[in-house]
Amino acid sequence: MAPKGSKAPKARPKPPDPPKEYPTIADELLAAYQESRPYQTLAASKGIQNLTANEKACYAHAVFLETGAWRSWPAATQNEFWKTIQSEKIPIPLPKPQDLGRDTRGIEVGKYTPAEFKLYLRREREIEGLLGKTMGYLRAIMAAKEHSPRVLELTEHIISMNAAHYTVWLYRSQTLLALNSSIPAELEWVNNVALDNQKNYQIWHHRQILVEHLVQDVGSDEGKLRELGKSEVAFMKEMFDEDAKNYHVWSYRQWLVRKLDLWQKGEIEDCERLLREDVRNNSAWAHRFFVVFSNPRYCTEGSKATEFDGGIPDEILDREIEFSKAACFEAPQNQSPWNYLRGVLKKGGRKLVSLECFAGEFVKIPEKEGEGEEDVKSSHALDFLADAWAEKGEREKADRALRLLGDKYDRIRKNYWDWRRALLKSDGGGLGGIEGQFVVGAKLFGH
Amino acid sequence: MTFLIKGKKSQQRVRFIKRAIAGQGSHDPSPASESLHYDQQQAQRPDFITENSKDKPAIVDDAFGASSRSVMSAKTASMIPDLFTTLPPIRDLLQTGSSRVQDETIQECLPFLKGADLNVQCNEHGVPQLDRPRHINFLHKSLRKLPAPYVAADASRPWMFYWALAGLAAMGEDVSQYRERLISTVQPIQNSTGGFGGGNGQLSHLAPTYAILLSLVIVGGEEALEVIDRKAMWKWLGALKQPDGGFQMCVGGEEDVRGAYIAAVILTLLDLPIELSRESPAWSREGGTLLTNLPEWISKCQTFEGGVSSRPDAEAHGAYAFCVLACLSILGDPHIIIPKYLDVPCLISWLSSRQYAPEGGFSGRTNKLVDGCYSHWVGGCWPLIEACLDGPSLGSPAGIQVAPLTAVGHLYSREGLIRYILCCCQDQTKRGGLRDKPSHNSDSYHTCYVLAGLSSAQHRWHFNTSATKTATGGMLNSAYQWTSEPIVEDLQIFDGADRVGTWHPVFVIPEGAAERAKEYFASKGGF
Repeated sequence: MAPKGSKAPKARPKPPDPPKEYPTIADELLAAYQESRPYQTLAASKGIQNLTANEKACYAHAVFLETGAWRSWPAATQNEFWKTIQSEKIPIPLPKPQDLGRDTRGIEVGKYTPAEFKLYLRREREIEGLLGKTMGYLRAIMAAKEHSPRVLELTEHIISMNAAHYTVWLYRSQTLLALNSSIPAELEWVNNVALDNQKNYQIWHHRQILVEHLVQDVGSDEGKLRELGKSEVAFMKEMFDEDAKNYHVWSYRQWLVRKLDLWQKGEIEDCERLLREDVRNNSAWAHRFFVVFSNPRYCTEGSKATEFDGGIPDEILDREIEFSKAACFEAPQNQSPWNYLRGVLKKGGRKLVSLECFAGEFVKIPEKEGEGEEDVKSSHALDFLADAWAEKGEREKADRALRLLGDKYDRIRKNYWDWRRALLKSDGGGLGGIEGQFVVGAKLFGH
Repeated sequence: MTFLIKGKKSQQRVRFIKRAIAGQGSHDPSPASESLHYDQQQAQRPDFITENSKDKPAIVDDAFGASSRSVMSAKTASMIPDLFTTLPPIRDLLQTGSSRVQDETIQECLPFLKGADLNVQCNEHGVPQLDRPRHINFLHKSLRKLPAPYVAADASRPWMFYWALAGLAAMGEDVSQYRERLISTVQPIQNSTGGFGGGNGQLSHLAPTYAILLSLVIVGGEEALEVIDRKAMWKWLGALKQPDGGFQMCVGGEEDVRGAYIAAVILTLLDLPIELSRESPAWSREGGTLLTNLPEWISKCQTFEGGVSSRPDAEAHGAYAFCVLACLSILGDPHIIIPKYLDVPCLISWLSSRQYAPEGGFSGRTNKLVDGCYSHWVGGCWPLIEACLDGPSLGSPAGIQVAPLTAVGHLYSREGLIRYILCCCQDQTKRGGLRDKPSHNSDSYHTCYVLAGLSSAQHRWHFNTSATKTATGGMLNSAYQWTSEPIVEDLQIFDGADRVGTWHPVFVIPEGAAERAKEYFASKGGF
């Protein structure tokens, strides 16, 4: 039996305080939720066994209310149940507050003050009506193929209400170009829209159209192109301050590097700055790889990211290897630099074995199985070694590494590691050998 | 009604679990349930009894003595592999923004993976049932209150139809009731120049066109299929085709691998000719087609990590990996065309890295978080990759299946994915629906793609070279050579009733619908 708590409090949980000001609507909803379940809170803080008999009964009632279990009872039991609820004034538990999502500017609605939230709801309803009217107006203008300054006003107005209409964006860019409007002024306006609409991607395509046109206008004026590059990169920095992995911004940046020939203008340094903040930012790693291994000054045109490219100078390969090695030391279980390292080796046509010692820094396996504990600081290093050993023909060692991965260090991927083990046994050896398998398969099927 | 109260001070848990009623034969009485019956007899009404034994959970009878329908499964916890309840074995000391949100996500998921939610019933594997009625209700409701025209979500109206119809059909609902409404909604947004816009007065765009086309194919029937102006669609595709081989999403819009996938879907489903119209920006005297350089362009999107990006030069991302594999699997037989254009081992290594433990679900990029929607975007890559590795299943003339030559089985943890879906992605409140992760609201998008991922983890797909299901001849028939079978295994962690319908591995709609549509259009012979 439960001990009769000697320190059991006499009073029931306090009734909610008079209306209180909450800093955010999420706080207000959460407070309301908690106030609606005082006995659950009490039980959680004191432990069920320390509740008084009355509190226990109230707690049980509250739990039944919350789960809806009472619905399946006979009518008489239900009646008795509700009588107790009323006499004990047990509040009806509210459902747990849901995430309110983000507004069109990407701001969490939950962080609004309760007053702002009221306004937000009202504004949402107003916009619904207004947007309908304005869109109807724009449709008429588009049907008449009108490209006039009022189109710019109208589209700006619509975009301020809803930035996700691709049709509006495209019509705006057509009109801008038809009117020969100032593109720098447009870019500046777009900056603000983009900062307010983090997740919107139409903006980035719009920007691409604008810059494309601007570059044609500027022609070969190096100074102006440099200015443009600088201001674009500065703006992207602002975007990355909000979300350093924003896919649309990064895609735009890769496009811009090619367009404005930014290969050697601080791109690598910018990636490094972001990686110093977060060495796990894979977008920054991906951008670095693009900048280093697509640079037309030394890269072979059309060489794919997964292919060897004989044009890459040795000192660049060495520099990239050293950079990723340093990052691996910083956080060995971070997959980004390991993927990067493999990518660099492939581009340079170098063998994984050339970094066997380095990868070995993170993996200590006793010579013979069962003799002493192994010490593995990175499953990615172990994966790397498995391939390096397979490359050398040390299949047994490679197999043991793959087994360790599947059984201990990366069990969720066990099927994958087992498949890799099966590849080891087949002719090719490591991952490199699988192509041979396809040829065999294709022959068998007569292709 | 009984309570399970764990006798640990820090972990008070109350749980309600369906009782195995003796004699009805729904479950064999396990040692666990026997001990529970014993405990029940010991428990006294009307007060709580709490046993504070260390490991053995105590059974506490309720205060009312209402006829009990639940017992606890005391062994549930031990039936959940520790892979899904413990932190990863190797964790770096260095903390950064990425590792902080990753740690938070693990902490957010663990209680769900452990079955700690007191309101959720779990089976003996610690896995809750698929709450079909609520998810079905959620999707029906999403169609009842579609956003009014012109509001923020207006451009996604066609998607709301697709997500809901595909999800409902996969859960066995009759969706023909929506046929009339779908037709009347999409008719006015089809443009005479071909394709559909996202809403009234909007330019044609491949994304809503894909959603509408698939929705019409799901509800099926001549009336629905006849809505589509195929000739105009063909001309419009020509206008989107780019000289480099890819497709723009709308005229003057962005070019990415979604465009490539959707264009291929449209071409094959509507049985359109692949010739280019003269007005196309890609037209040349050399006589290219709508498919010229398409796989070559796609192949430029594979990154050094092995994954695939939205367009050349960008970062590998799960959603684009599916688009690319599905597109290739329309253009040719997976075992031939995928290795021809992609570095398969590198791709598999990256795809496999998308699955995390303890969460069990997939992430979309390296060092990003799990999200239920990748159950499809990444999960849906596996059947295509497995067909690519296995080669075709050889159908003999008598129709007897011959086992694949190099059956690789599954390359990912189906158990992990199913656990993530059923434990973490279900909104267990009255709201229903499926979600990104526990801290997020359910929505139609996630409901659709989480269900698609669940189905893919529950079935095995075979690619058959000699078993074309539509006798059409002509081009682009690879996508109609798939057959499925449920995966049956001894240790199945989900309840039999939770098996959802099969989704076509390329078109992402319930199996059979695409085949019917293709046949319908092919039988017309021309526009």
